[in-house]
Amino acid sequence: MGKVIVCDGNEAAAWGVALARPDMVAVYPITPQSSLAEYISQFVADGIIKADLMDVEGEHSVLSVLQGAALAGARTFTASCGQGLAFMFEPYFRTPPLRLPIVMSIVTRDGITPQSVWGGQQDAMTVRETGWVHMHCENVQEVLDTVIMAFKIAEHRDVMLPVNVNHDGNYLSYGVEKVEVPDQEEVDVFLGEKNVNWHVALDPERPMGVDPLTGGAGGIGPSLFVKYRKGLCRGMQNALRVIEEVHREWGERFGRKWAPLVEEYRLDGADYAVVTIGSMSGAGKDAVDMARDEEGKRVGLIKMKTFRPFPRKALCEALSKVKAAGVVDRSVSFGWNSGPMYQEILSSMYFLSTPIPAISFIGGLAGADITVDHFRRVIDETQRVLEGGEVASEPIWLNEST
Amino acid sequence: MFHSKYLIVGASHAGLSALDAIRLIEPEGEVTLLCAESTPPYSPTILPYVVSGEVRAEEVFLRRSDRFERMGVRFEAGARVVSVQAGDHSVELESGEKWEYEKLLLATGAAPSIPRIEGLEGVSYHVLRTLEDAEKLRAAMSAAKEAIVLGAGLIGMHAAENMLKAGLKVRVVEALDQVLPAYFDPRGADLIERAFLEQGIEILTGERVEGVAQSGGRVELSLSSGKTLSGDLLLVSTGVKPRTEYLKGSGVEVEEGVVVDDRMRAGGVEDVWAAGDVAQARGFFGDSKRVNATVLSAVEQGRIAGMDMVGDSALQPYGGGMAVNTYTFFKHRAFSVGMGKVSESEDDFEVDQVYLPSSFCYQKLVFSGGYLVGASGINTELDPGVLYQLIRRKVNLEEEKGVFSAKPLEMGRVLMSQVWR
Amino acid sequence: MGKGYKTIAFYPQRCDGCQKCVEACSEFHAGSTDPVHSRIKVVEAGGAFGLALCRQCGEPQCVMNCPAGALEKDTETGVIKWDRDRCVNCHICTLACPYAGITYNVVSEEVMKCDFCEGDPACVKACPLGALELKRGAEIFNEWAELEDLVVPGISACLGCNSELVLRHTLRRVGSNVVVATPPGCMAGVGTVGVNGKTGVKAPVFHPLLTNTAAMLAGAKRYYKRIGRDVTMIAFGGDGGTADVGFQSLSGAAERGEQMIYICVDNEGYMNTGVQRSSTTPYGAWTSTTPVGTVLRGKSRDAKPMPLLMVMHNCEYVATASTAFMEDYYRKLEKAIEAARRGMAYIHVFSPCPTGWRFPPSKLIEVGRKAVQTNIVPLWEYENRVGRIRFTHPVENPLPVAEYLSLIGKFRHLDEEQIAHIQAQTQRKIEVLKKFTSEQTTTTLHHAA
Repeated sequence: MGKVIVCDGNEAAAWGVALARPDMVAVYPITPQSSLAEYISQFVADGIIKADLMDVEGEHSVLSVLQGAALAGARTFTASCGQGLAFMFEPYFRTPPLRLPIVMSIVTRDGITPQSVWGGQQDAMTVRETGWVHMHCENVQEVLDTVIMAFKIAEHRDVMLPVNVNHDGNYLSYGVEKVEVPDQEEVDVFLGEKNVNWHVALDPERPMGVDPLTGGAGGIGPSLFVKYRKGLCRGMQNALRVIEEVHREWGERFGRKWAPLVEEYRLDGADYAVVTIGSMSGAGKDAVDMARDEEGKRVGLIKMKTFRPFPRKALCEALSKVKAAGVVDRSVSFGWNSGPMYQEILSSMYFLSTPIPAISFIGGLAGADITVDHFRRVIDETQRVLEGGEVASEPIWLNEST
Repeated sequence: MFHSKYLIVGASHAGLSALDAIRLIEPEGEVTLLCAESTPPYSPTILPYVVSGEVRAEEVFLRRSDRFERMGVRFEAGARVVSVQAGDHSVELESGEKWEYEKLLLATGAAPSIPRIEGLEGVSYHVLRTLEDAEKLRAAMSAAKEAIVLGAGLIGMHAAENMLKAGLKVRVVEALDQVLPAYFDPRGADLIERAFLEQGIEILTGERVEGVAQSGGRVELSLSSGKTLSGDLLLVSTGVKPRTEYLKGSGVEVEEGVVVDDRMRAGGVEDVWAAGDVAQARGFFGDSKRVNATVLSAVEQGRIAGMDMVGDSALQPYGGGMAVNTYTFFKHRAFSVGMGKVSESEDDFEVDQVYLPSSFCYQKLVFSGGYLVGASGINTELDPGVLYQLIRRKVNLEEEKGVFSAKPLEMGRVLMSQVWR
Repeated sequence: MGKGYKTIAFYPQRCDGCQKCVEACSEFHAGSTDPVHSRIKVVEAGGAFGLALCRQCGEPQCVMNCPAGALEKDTETGVIKWDRDRCVNCHICTLACPYAGITYNVVSEEVMKCDFCEGDPACVKACPLGALELKRGAEIFNEWAELEDLVVPGISACLGCNSELVLRHTLRRVGSNVVVATPPGCMAGVGTVGVNGKTGVKAPVFHPLLTNTAAMLAGAKRYYKRIGRDVTMIAFGGDGGTADVGFQSLSGAAERGEQMIYICVDNEGYMNTGVQRSSTTPYGAWTSTTPVGTVLRGKSRDAKPMPLLMVMHNCEYVATASTAFMEDYYRKLEKAIEAARRGMAYIHVFSPCPTGWRFPPSKLIEVGRKAVQTNIVPLWEYENRVGRIRFTHPVENPLPVAEYLSLIGKFRHLDEEQIAHIQAQTQRKIEVLKKFTSEQTTTTLHHAA
């Protein structure tokens, strides 16, 4: 068994990185990720992480050096968020089509402007359509475990895609919990031998042209391009299976069974459900427990861990068990005037035999807490539509008056 | 049936020059050189020197024997082409052999042009176009006493000098009014003629031959003036004409010679080029296409043909041929490039002349507009090559003309020096 | 493969017509100083000196036209040899040679030409002013011609593309144990990385982003070092990917001392996208975004002094180079390869662009040469271990900048005032660089920075 320590989510992520034995870590600080960068730097300084520490001049180069290293064969890690992620975007949205299994924590942060340095998932949600795998963690232990699992998922031959392990700024970055740090030997066995550039490499022993111009109005270009695009889509769909397999193996080896794609919490006998993502799920579960146990309300909870690839099947299976849903987002879809998760759940319902009413809630922006009381309101509003009440065209802003 | 990607018919300057151009770009493609004669390649220009004995027949060859082997080129001696089937991309040899080609270069040169003179067919006479001719003439000279040379062109004049040096009495008959009419103006020709007369060669200009007869070992010529000449050796050197008889029915466009465009592509058919004395190509001074039988033209045309055959993108289209030559006689030396014969009385030309007959010197520069268009010289220090380049590169001398006329040697060298890096 | 040989180069501006070369040649060949025997002739006409001398041409017209087979180019030495025994004195060679390199000697009564004095020409040794130099220039090609050209034939560069020249020569020298980065720009546009699944370089090659070339190479290099493999990283960035949008990642990599050769192929603008201005576009130049009209007269600012900025980054090696001075470039590549084992080696290659600058492709090398001769492009190098800048081709008496500018269409509109500005800036640039030739200045500036 591993050792037990008390730490925050940023340190837990750093321990996860250490156990995954990367060849290169690149850091550039940004609130609320900074202490993660610092832990990693210190771990390198102390010999806990035996990797090249690339202390580069900005997030753009952070991901760029990792791409170069990965093409040479390195296992790599970094972390960022918010504006850092925005600055990184150019290499960021090129990483998936390069099929580089880079792992990166997004210590989620709300978007500016107004100027804000606090939590919110606007950053992660904004980049959701780039081909990165996105997994959101609920607590500090899940952060540590998921960072390690992320390498195995990313480097799986059927996937070969970069993975973002997202944990909420403030609540998980600084929130302290007791966690178990697994043994190195066991993690080594779990992860196995790395081989990250068998498919694309910058290596004089295997010379190739990486990323030739592809496309054009005629010839084989466009069809070649489609082939690459379909390959990426296939990798994403394969990831759904691999994420499940890896979580199952993790549970078997380390005893912690995290729901890989979608967690169903107390859906047995539930008429309606609250849908959550990330650290808010804890308060959501407390509120569900209270509503059920104390008030007899027939409410359950669905937590989305994997947001990309979107686990439509698992989600529909959960939704099919209830007749109404209240979806709580920690970010905004400006185009749909709702939360982004809400909007995507609506899309998924096309595949349900009977669509169910659902309400969009937006809360926890700019560092705001989403409390049990907020969830009470979510539960009440969802019950109202369950009972035939009208679904408003506007989202409900949970922190509007607090 | 033999096959060669590149088939070159004729192995003198044009053929060899094309060969080098092809090999520069394509070190490995199949190249075959068909040579009508049984010898390695040589230049017809060398023949007077074989006749004189200055060079032995076995020393005239233009390529060391292993050269073709090193270049990966097949050389076929004694392979005379008798017909071309352009549609089938093949040629037939005298031996009956057939050769298929992808690209064909006709570089078959020229043959002596024999004037129609009554009785000529019935007498034995010499010509000078092949090594065999040269050796026969040389042998004949040693037995003869009195030679008659018909035609005062370069070949005839060279031969006359050689025969004199061999101890023969020599007479030269020329239908036109001067010697070397293709290259020199009357004043230059007079000076040259003078050197011949001083050496004891009799030159009869403006004399047409009306008839030829043979009696015993001697030939007799009746001239238009009523004179008769008799000798025991007759050389007919009245010019050359392109060798094209094998092209009858081939579809290749032949006028005087094979008509070619500025890439030396032969008219009328596909994948056939022609270069050298057989080709009728653009003239430099805007005149109509004509045969320009000089070494320089053969080398340049051969190179252009080779480059075009091999698809060399550095090819510059042919700029046109002009009369150019050097000529040495009795320790004198002469040259002529371009329109060296233009007379000072002609409009549109400016002529600078230095004429020092007492020291046997003559120099002439011809300008048109700001450009040099011709030059000739006898015993001058001028560089014929530099002057030729100033003409063909159309170097504008408008500003430097004063200096150029005063110091043509120096200015010419300065100008050409500047174009070299 | 052709072979390069020694040649005698003539610098007319250094010549005063003293004829010492002529005397030395006659002396060597005839034991007399009578100029009639000299194979070299220096003549004056119209205030200029000209040289009549055999150029030992690659495709010698004298050889091709000789009917006697008396002239032949020696494939070992490159010297065109004249065989007295075969010569028939017909003089056609004097007609075929454009340079009066073979002439008739009225005393010996035969033609004569330069025979290189058995490899050590007397004329060169005799010249007191350095107007004649025995150049070994082309000889480097003998050596490098043996190395593999790692760029495939038929890449789609414009006619006369300097970038292609840089690419081919550099990779020839650096070899295939490399990772080659060609960010978007002409280098990539010509098909270096390839098109639709086919590659253009016989070595590992990739497109970085326009913005992250140095960073990606740094990542790859670090990993190779980690696993103990010695692989050279080389970038061919355009000026946009180097001095503009790629500057941050380059600056960061230079500061961290990342080990790579970074070559900036500076064609002074975004040539691949249709000739827009970059920060290295020079003052006054027309581009499609610094157009010439009634109000604007080309670019209004001077170019960013990129190589000097890299010196201030404390790089291991920084140099400027030009393909018109290929030997100089090869020497610098040698040093860059060595310096890249310790840190960043940055070479800024001046890269005239016939297409974008509006000049004929045939003038490429002349433009490059004039740029150096006018001091528009001073050739220098900075070795960190030495600690100061050294001019590798000092130009003490530069030609007026107008002689360079007039060759190029993008400067056609310049008025006198603009030309004066460029002249002044060129002078100022040299003065600034000269300050860095002192170790003290460079060290002080580094410390101050």
